[in-house]
Amino acid sequence: MKLQHVLGGLENLGPVNLEARVFVQEWEKRIFGIHTVMMAESAHLAEALPRYPMASLPTTFQHTWTWASLRTGAESMQPFEYFKFRYYEKWLMGISQFFVDEGYITAQELGWWTAHYRVQPDAPLPDRPSEPIKRQVVDYLLRGDSGLRPLPHAPRFTLGQTVQVADPAAADHTRLPGYLRNKKGTVREVYPGAFEYFCSTGPDGLEGPMPVYRVAFDASDIWGPKLCEPNTTIYADLFEVYLQSRTTENEEKTP
Amino acid sequence: MSSDLFKYNDEREAASAAKVRALEALLIEKGVIGSDSVDAVLDHFEKIAGPFNGARIVARAWVDPAYKQRLLADTPRAIAELQLPLGMEGAEGEHMAAVANGPGVHNLIICTLCSCYPWPVLGLPPYWYKDPVFRARGVREPRAVLREFGVPISEHTEVKVWDSSAQIRWFVVPERPANTDGFSEEQLAALVAPEAMMGVAVVSPPAMA
Repeated sequence: MKLQHVLGGLENLGPVNLEARVFVQEWEKRIFGIHTVMMAESAHLAEALPRYPMASLPTTFQHTWTWASLRTGAESMQPFEYFKFRYYEKWLMGISQFFVDEGYITAQELGWWTAHYRVQPDAPLPDRPSEPIKRQVVDYLLRGDSGLRPLPHAPRFTLGQTVQVADPAAADHTRLPGYLRNKKGTVREVYPGAFEYFCSTGPDGLEGPMPVYRVAFDASDIWGPKLCEPNTTIYADLFEVYLQSRTTENEEKTP
Repeated sequence: MSSDLFKYNDEREAASAAKVRALEALLIEKGVIGSDSVDAVLDHFEKIAGPFNGARIVARAWVDPAYKQRLLADTPRAIAELQLPLGMEGAEGEHMAAVANGPGVHNLIICTLCSCYPWPVLGLPPYWYKDPVFRARGVREPRAVLREFGVPISEHTEVKVWDSSAQIRWFVVPERPANTDGFSEEQLAALVAPEAMMGVAVVSPPAMA
């Protein structure tokens, strides 16, 4: 189990940060932009619903890069380190390491160029605009990458049904908030269609399109009635593989 | 305390600034991106996607109760009714849903696993939304968190916390403030901050002239 998977509910962290700026340093805009260009150039977009023309895009980028890539990286961080770095510092570390690991750049040249811009912060970037890449970036931002797919099977759970959240093996990446594991909730919406996540999460269970449910949890069922704030409901959208039938689960536990 | 994250010395910030510029320069050199690619992203969040869209949606919901009902029932279709920029179903807005505050109910949007946020209508998430302390405590003690944001909630009011973990990107239609009778939609929209559309603020009545 990774700390990042069970962040919800962690205590003793002190007051919340009220900083309302999106970027607290100018440099943060650039790493956000680089990540978003990578998403717009991702190889998997050839198969996305808008069928982006990836084969003809004049870029040397050949990888699939999605939110799952960035999240998996953040979830793999040593937990103490995770708290030490600001949001976009983690992005900068993860993304630059990706480009080194995959051979797009070398650590040596990154070090050399960093030293260069350290001494001359205002030295210009190379001037090599690309109209086709710019068009793809804009097109991706305008049309997105919906995971909506045809239903592969009828939804296993129905509106109003009491369900129990599964407790799958802890894997590298998950979309199941850890504090909901094994908790009892009620299906409040069966979303039309099925949804496919960006990647398989292996033993965690996301694989191909599946129904998604809006599940309501009474907060006292999660934190216990004595430790819980009153009159609080938590809603989560959960992929079907993360849910079990409540009665079946109870029978399985009966010796 | 997490606010220490903003007290880094200039050295640390300058090192990050140099590294990200080096990375962008190298990616341009290697043909991975163009020198105008990052600016194209940032330009989108200046002109197309931003909280100015969400504020217009909220303002319309305030002046037109039937529109508000349509917005809550089928958010994408109701958004498409308005003359907003193209792209409201674009990246991180492919599947959006609105929930409304009202007498007896207060909504709070959170993403405990990362920082899912409805880009087309709210732009990019403010720092507080991405901070691990908010993400950890928002589901455990939302009323305590809301008090720290200056929004005390009566125990007779139900708090609904929406943890964005799959396809839906949630946002809140806050309550219309008092003393706004006769306001135009434009005047109303100017009162609506992103924080109110995530549930950590209420919309204040306008200052008396």
